[in-house]
Amino acid sequence: MTRSRSITRSLVVTVLLLELLSAVCLIGAITIHERRLQWNSFDATLLGNAQSLMAAVQESAVQSGDESDDVMLDTRGMRLGHGAIFRVQEEHGRILGELGQVPALSDTAFDDTAFQSAVIDGRHMRFVTLHGTRVIDPGMPGGGVRHQITVIYGMPTGRIWHEVVEAVRFVSIATLLLLGVTATVMVWMLRRKLSPIYELATEAGRISSNDWRFAAPESARETRELEPLVSALEAAMMRLERSFHQQRRFTSDAAHELKTDLAIVKSSLQLLSMRPRTAQEYERGLAQSLDDFTRLETTVQKMLTLSRLEQEPVRGDADARASCSLRAALEDAADQSGAFAEVRSVRLDVRGDGDAVVPVDRHDALLLCSNILSNAIGHSPAGATVRAVIEREGASVRLTVRDHGDGVANEDLPYLFEPFYRGDPSRSRKSGGTGLGLAICRAICQRAGGSIEIANHTESGALVTVVLPATALVTHTASSASLNA
Amino acid sequence: MRLLLIEDEQRLAENIVAALRETGFAVDHAADGITGSEFAEQDVYDAIVLDLMLPGKNGQRVLRDLRLAKVHTPVLILTAQEGKESVIELLNAGADDYLAKPFDLGELLARVKALIRRARGASTPVLTASDVALNTVQQTVVRGGRAIELSPTEYRILEYLMHRPRAVVSKQELLEHLYDFDWEHHSNVIEAHVSNLRRKLNTAGAEPLIETLRHRGYRLREGSAAA
Repeated sequence: MTRSRSITRSLVVTVLLLELLSAVCLIGAITIHERRLQWNSFDATLLGNAQSLMAAVQESAVQSGDESDDVMLDTRGMRLGHGAIFRVQEEHGRILGELGQVPALSDTAFDDTAFQSAVIDGRHMRFVTLHGTRVIDPGMPGGGVRHQITVIYGMPTGRIWHEVVEAVRFVSIATLLLLGVTATVMVWMLRRKLSPIYELATEAGRISSNDWRFAAPESARETRELEPLVSALEAAMMRLERSFHQQRRFTSDAAHELKTDLAIVKSSLQLLSMRPRTAQEYERGLAQSLDDFTRLETTVQKMLTLSRLEQEPVRGDADARASCSLRAALEDAADQSGAFAEVRSVRLDVRGDGDAVVPVDRHDALLLCSNILSNAIGHSPAGATVRAVIEREGASVRLTVRDHGDGVANEDLPYLFEPFYRGDPSRSRKSGGTGLGLAICRAICQRAGGSIEIANHTESGALVTVVLPATALVTHTASSASLNA
Repeated sequence: MRLLLIEDEQRLAENIVAALRETGFAVDHAADGITGSEFAEQDVYDAIVLDLMLPGKNGQRVLRDLRLAKVHTPVLILTAQEGKESVIELLNAGADDYLAKPFDLGELLARVKALIRRARGASTPVLTASDVALNTVQQTVVRGGRAIELSPTEYRILEYLMHRPRAVVSKQELLEHLYDFDWEHHSNVIEAHVSNLRRKLNTAGAEPLIETLRHRGYRLREGSAAA
């Protein structure tokens, strides 16, 4: 099962991840900065405290007379810091004051103030070694006694880390709060801003085969991002509705046609069985029933042909497998229609100054030509001529068939190629065929990438024009002769 | 009984006409709505069988115009269209019955007979007048328990008269309802048939059933069409 993707979720997650990433970077930066800051301030404190100790070296209250004995460390009232360790020495190595156990530290130059780290009893400590000169009794002659004092002062560094952690914790909590607020606001905003999509979906969901009305809600129409979707939906609905109605009408017309043919067959047989009949009557009745049945078969056959033609994919490019000479097809069709033309006393005049191979199956091409020819013959008055001409026209070939009948009523022109449309209403099925002939012609032409049109000739009669793409030139002796002439 | 069939499908019309004629109806056929309307509005038919999809003028309009012209002939609709809506519309527009194509020829005949019967106020297929019983389904006539053999024309005359008890029926009306356009008819023919019918129906002691009114026509003496 594939999990559905949510735009809201991925947006929120992306934003939160970005925010989190920047928060992590921020915390890192803060940690580094804070640490440096804290170290500096720690060192300053260390140094300050060491200097205080240095300042606490005073003249001893007990005057022993020994020069080396005249200084002492007075730490009264001093704040030495929590966990501090120190040692104050004078130049002879005498320890003036001491707190805790100062570890052995590397020697440093006299004029150097050095910071060093050490671990004492598992505690990280930082020490400063401060050298200084204290002048005892400066008012005495000779400027008093100078003592070289060394102060080593250390404090545990845990405090620095404590401060850094505190700062990081504060930033982290603030970041988490910010993330929460962002997520809430984003989800709310997205819901709100996406609501036109849901409204659009609701509207689209209402559409059914009975109700094609689709009115995009105002909210969707006013959202710029949804505009292409709205117009695409509207256009698609319109196309679908049109094609649906076309299909439904075809189905209904087809049902009507089939039911009528069935009614004929059924009534013929029932009439025959209404009472006992003579052998001759049965014979006639059966022959009649067979005729009726053949008509039903023809209708079905034509419907299947039309359905086949409409279902096969359009072949844009020429397919060598399904192609034939248009002129040959027309001549065959003229042969087939010859008897019908003779019955109606109509002359057939077939000409082709140019010829071409058209991307139409031979059988379909014959069907196309004979449908057009028999239509023309059927509409021609006795003694008239039906003229069919094939002409080359650049990359296409044009077949025109003209009759001298009454032509087509203008109001019928747009519907002539609709299935089951029978133009002249005074003409019933018996002369109009199944009403599928022209629909089949159109399907054949469209499938080959061509077109078919019917118009009234300026003088009289109807003019059928078929234009098909020509795939190759066929050199007929007759046509080349006329071309050379 | 004379019927009008309005149906553009030639083969179907041929079959229906043949079946109706074999059943004893006189039938006229119109192949388009305009002719059909003209025929129907003459008001000489006992029932009309009307197809809906017609060239010239569709069945709905034929029906509407017929009712507008105050012609109340029963109309049976033949339809190949789907959908209950159109049926409801048709019945509301004045149709009396309908049959969907492809229909059963026997059903068509039965429905046409039922329509004629009901239009005359009878609800069963057996018509009675005095002691005469006429079965419109079996096309038999019985008087006082005795079966009477009638020719098809005699039967049709009796059936027509029994559908209109106590009414005066002129020779012209009989002609119009018993024969279709295909017949070259004359009122003498009617007189001959009625005279034969009267002879066959007469039984000893019973009063003559059919009364002749000079220059006016015929009348069933008494009885009722209802069973």
